Amino acid sequence: MYDFDWSSIPGALPFLWDGMKISLEITVTAVIFGIVWGTLLAMLRLSPVKPLAWFAAGYVNLFRSIPLVMVLLWFFLIVPQLLRSFFNLDPNTDVRLTSAMIGFALFESAYYSEIIRAGIQSVPKGQVAAASALGMSYSQAMRLVVLPQAFRNMVPLLLTQAIVLFQDTSLVYMSALADFFGAAYKVGDRDGRLVELLLFAGVVYFLICFAASQLVRRYQKKLNAHVAH
Amino acid sequence: MISIDNVSKHYGSFQVLTDCTTQVKKGEVIVVCGPSGSGKSTLIKCVNGLEPFQAGAITVDGISVGDPKTNLSKLRSRVGMVFQHFELFPHMSITDNLSIAQEKVLGRSKDEARAKGLKLLERVGLKAHAEKFPGQLSGGQQQRVAIARALCMDPICMLFDEPTSALDPEMINEVLDVMVELAQEGMTMMCVTHEMGFARKVANRVIFMDKGLIVEDDSKDAFFGAPRSERARQFLAKILQH
Ligand SMILES: Nc1ncnc2c1ncn2[C@@H]1O[C@H](COP(=O)(O)OP(=O)(O)OP(=O)(O)O)[C@@H](O)[C@H]1O
Ligand SMILES: [Mg+2]
Repeated sequence: MYDFDWSSIPGALPFLWDGMKISLEITVTAVIFGIVWGTLLAMLRLSPVKPLAWFAAGYVNLFRSIPLVMVLLWFFLIVPQLLRSFFNLDPNTDVRLTSAMIGFALFESAYYSEIIRAGIQSVPKGQVAAASALGMSYSQAMRLVVLPQAFRNMVPLLLTQAIVLFQDTSLVYMSALADFFGAAYKVGDRDGRLVELLLFAGVVYFLICFAASQLVRRYQKKLNAHVAH
Repeated sequence: MISIDNVSKHYGSFQVLTDCTTQVKKGEVIVVCGPSGSGKSTLIKCVNGLEPFQAGAITVDGISVGDPKTNLSKLRSRVGMVFQHFELFPHMSITDNLSIAQEKVLGRSKDEARAKGLKLLERVGLKAHAEKFPGQLSGGQQQRVAIARALCMDPICMLFDEPTSALDPEMINEVLDVMVELAQEGMTMMCVTHEMGFARKVANRVIFMDKGLIVEDDSKDAFFGAPRSERARQFLAKILQH
């Protein structure tokens, strides 16, 4: 029988907490940027101007066809150099976190844009007609009438995607960035207690994601009740 | 006020409107009827440019709808439109539904828009519901709000596309009453409707469409007295049976 020894965890909690902050930071920036850029992509894709629609479709299909690990790897290899030369940074400045944020944001926006496009299309066509008939421009109709309804319907899907993203942030460990998973790994490796630390990390990920998806389900129920009204 | 000249429209090879010509003078009420798929909605949507057309010309208050140089949004803000399915904005309160376009399109202040909205809400008998959301109102009430929303823009004319056909029978009259009152006050109106009671009461002329053509365009008395075409006679006999 394997002898579990959890004693290295309490002392490592502050370090693990710092890791969790990095995981959350990446998640939050990628969600915010992903939704903003994803909304733009969705609107471009639905635009009657063909080249714009093609660009958006190409972007989305490209990122959805490449494994996230590869996108991140490319970002860790290329973006740090770019950032350094572009902003004239000291070669020792740590840009791994920024690179990770940019990589996730660009990748996730492809997924968000598909969710948002479906959301926009779920708003009945008559709503745009009514807004136009009142004299609103296309962008006013989008901003004031279509997007608010689309987002209300999409919130559960957007949050579910954010939960997946939070789990995926653990992939940054390969750049030796100490996110929550990376931190747990480092501590386990140092103390020779990898099994315990990885079990602990797994339980924490599970608790956070499970609680978050329960919240999403509660919201979804409320939303359905509201729509049925 | 509205002039439609030889307007034709097709979707690919399917002809929806063929050489439609008619006029609506200031203060006139025109009822448009005809079988399903005859192009009534399409014609009325061409009037405020919600549907483009390929041939002919439409002018509203002297402004050409088909001219690419026309500011369509500005023109639309002066033409009220009421839809079959109300199309209130479900994520906004009734008050916001009434004021949003006043503020964002006409540039009225929030207070001014609100006051105007309440005045028109009172006129359609729904002042007590100002703070509710569309989903909390009955169909008839929603359609009355939709009429008030259009009137908030001080339109020069109003277009109605089957405003009562999605309503339960007991709610039809509350909407028709508002429309009759509007007609009697001298509003220029073009109404797609099969409510012949409404047509008899307030219409100046009745247009009958079939397969994209304006088959009859006659005074109300001539139309109900003796329709010229066999199709219109059959159509009238059918809907008057109900
Ligand atoms: N986007 C479209 N593409 C192709 N055909 C269309 C389109 N929109 C409408 N049509 C066709 O044009 C014809 C006229 O439609 P329209 O909605 O104007 O009829 P309508 O007289 O209003 O009928 P209803 O009483 O059912 O509302 C119909 O045969 C319809 O199928
Ligand atoms: Mg129709």
